[in-house]
Amino acid sequence: MNLELIPLLIIVLLMISAGGADVETTEFVIEGDHEITEHRGALIVGDATVTVPADEAVSGPVYVIGGEFRVHGTVEGDVTQLSGSLVVEDGATIDGELQHIGGSEELSTEATIMERTTVAFESSEPGPIAAYTPIVLTTLILALVGALLSRKHELLLDNVGAAAQDHPLISLTVGALLSVTFLSVFVFMAFTLILLPVSILGLLIGLLIIAYGIIALGYLAGQQLNTPRVGLATGLGVVVVMVLLQLIGVIPILGDLVAGGLLLTGLGAVVLTYFGLQEFEPVSLPE
Amino acid sequence: MKLFEFVRERQWIPITGYLIYVSALTAGYYYNLTFVQLGLTDLGTQKIGMPPGDVSIVMAILALLTLVAAVVSGVLMDRRGWSTDLYVKFRLLFLVIFVQLLLTVAAPYVSTIELFVLWVIVCSMALGVGIPVSFSFMLDFIPVRDRGYVAAVVAGLSFFVAALYPIEWRIDEFSLVMSAMMVPAVLVLAVLSVKRFRFVDSLASQYERDTFGTGRFCRPVPVRTVSFAFLGPVLLMFGVFFIDSLGFLRIIETPLYIYTSWQSPDLSVRLFIAGLHVIGALAAGVIYTNFDRNWLFLWVFGLFAFTHLLYVFHIQFGAGDTPPLVLPMFYVLAVSFYTTLNFALWPDLSTPETIGTHTALGVGIAGWLATFLSTSLALYSEGVGLSLLNHLTYVNALALLFVVTLPVLLYVHRMVELARGGTTP
Repeated sequence: MNLELIPLLIIVLLMISAGGADVETTEFVIEGDHEITEHRGALIVGDATVTVPADEAVSGPVYVIGGEFRVHGTVEGDVTQLSGSLVVEDGATIDGELQHIGGSEELSTEATIMERTTVAFESSEPGPIAAYTPIVLTTLILALVGALLSRKHELLLDNVGAAAQDHPLISLTVGALLSVTFLSVFVFMAFTLILLPVSILGLLIGLLIIAYGIIALGYLAGQQLNTPRVGLATGLGVVVVMVLLQLIGVIPILGDLVAGGLLLTGLGAVVLTYFGLQEFEPVSLPE
Repeated sequence: MKLFEFVRERQWIPITGYLIYVSALTAGYYYNLTFVQLGLTDLGTQKIGMPPGDVSIVMAILALLTLVAAVVSGVLMDRRGWSTDLYVKFRLLFLVIFVQLLLTVAAPYVSTIELFVLWVIVCSMALGVGIPVSFSFMLDFIPVRDRGYVAAVVAGLSFFVAALYPIEWRIDEFSLVMSAMMVPAVLVLAVLSVKRFRFVDSLASQYERDTFGTGRFCRPVPVRTVSFAFLGPVLLMFGVFFIDSLGFLRIIETPLYIYTSWQSPDLSVRLFIAGLHVIGALAAGVIYTNFDRNWLFLWVFGLFAFTHLLYVFHIQFGAGDTPPLVLPMFYVLAVSFYTTLNFALWPDLSTPETIGTHTALGVGIAGWLATFLSTSLALYSEGVGLSLLNHLTYVNALALLFVVTLPVLLYVHRMVELARGGTTP
């Protein structure tokens, strides 16, 4: 499953939860081509192509968060589109409300849609200032936190940095294992609806650990400046790491792999050192 | 890694040891994964036409005889000093592979139940002797520092090839391919069995070096056979093998799950699984080398518990839909993890004096006996009509129980040590 769908999935589960729908009837179609002719509760369309054939009716609500949802027949309920592609063909019917929030849509004039609303956002192609503002803000916050942390508790960053630098393979392995497992566990928890808050909290903590890892990597980069002003060096180092992560992402596949590897190494190093509270030392083996 | 050090210093003899170990164990494990595990069922049901229940009884005989043969030969190897005599081990391995070659060639010609049972008895003897012989090669060829990584390479390679193998499995064709692959190994081992070579003499004495012989968990004090340090891992590994085959045997009987993953006609799906086996094994190698072994056990039980939870969830809520690859993904990770652990753990719990007995008991009890028992139980649950959902719920409960039991056992063990007056962690 595309990782970018996870936040949307969580949002949809929150919406289902708020709507009081029964979780046992919620169906999430992740991949492949499917024709839906019978369906009981909420339907979430992920990376799949889901078609409602002509002369068939399925109950809603339907949430499109990726892939493609094609309606030839009838949807007896609401359709909410957050991303992906929605195609409503000639003669198709949506009995409830069609809410368009994001993604592309193709609606036939011959189709019957009971009610239609659009949540308007800014232009889909924002200018360079709007596009880079969140990144710049994030970088500034991380640099500031890094500068403060290195001035007050340098040992923490020193331990995390040392683990990432001296044991990159171990840090990367631990980071990758933890992220794969916990990401799946949190998504799984979200499906129970009861554990949805835990799932969101877990994902937020995961993001915080990654941010901590970036700061530690920035601390390492800052050390190359050989300046006694450790706060300034760490702040600048964080900026360098963030710029590097942005630039390297331009290279297809390899860039994502390197950037992902860096983030996971940081994450692993943070966990291995108990957030820098102790040095990481592998077990002792005969040389 | 010591291997890189050997390469830098151009020490080709120890490097040859790595190559011999990886080739022998990979080929042996691949043979076991495919020809023995799949072959028995196919031979019994398709060729001879026996009912699946009867074939499972023959499988049980194979498992028990293998265990007995492994323990007897392992104890004998230690008592006679063969565990530390590389030439004797080469001769034993030559015998094992020669017998297996004959069995492989003969397999397509087995046409009666009597012949099938005889084939199985001879096969179990060869397998049994092969366990302590092949597993004990680690102390001759692989330094303690590299055992986790080398075990990972063996596990990853075996599973990679096995996962990519074509779906249609015909014993005639398979027998021919396997025999052709085994002949060179038999010839090389025949030469090594009768003639002494200087490079083999060097390899044969490597176990005396501090970096090779004594296993990681036997330093500074050797692990005794009857001790918590040895029986604890045997119990945990028994649990791992038991949980794996108990769950897997029912999953592979379910077309929806097996034909969308391990036996998918889509090469990219099988390649994904094969590649993940390698990645999982390497990750296990890193963890085994740098952390305490209990961390790896926790990961294995945790991964199994989560995997079965995913399957249970999918059966309950997503029945009929194509299961996502995340299901076999976690299964593959768990299997690669414990296979790597299985290769490295028993030699690391042994000294040159105990490696035959410990590897035989470890692999025999934890591997063979657990697999046999869980196979019987899985067949029983299928026979009494227990649904897949209920069956996997039991397996999942068992996995979760082990996740909790492991830290509790370790905690209690530490408490007992403290109560006895111990202070060091």
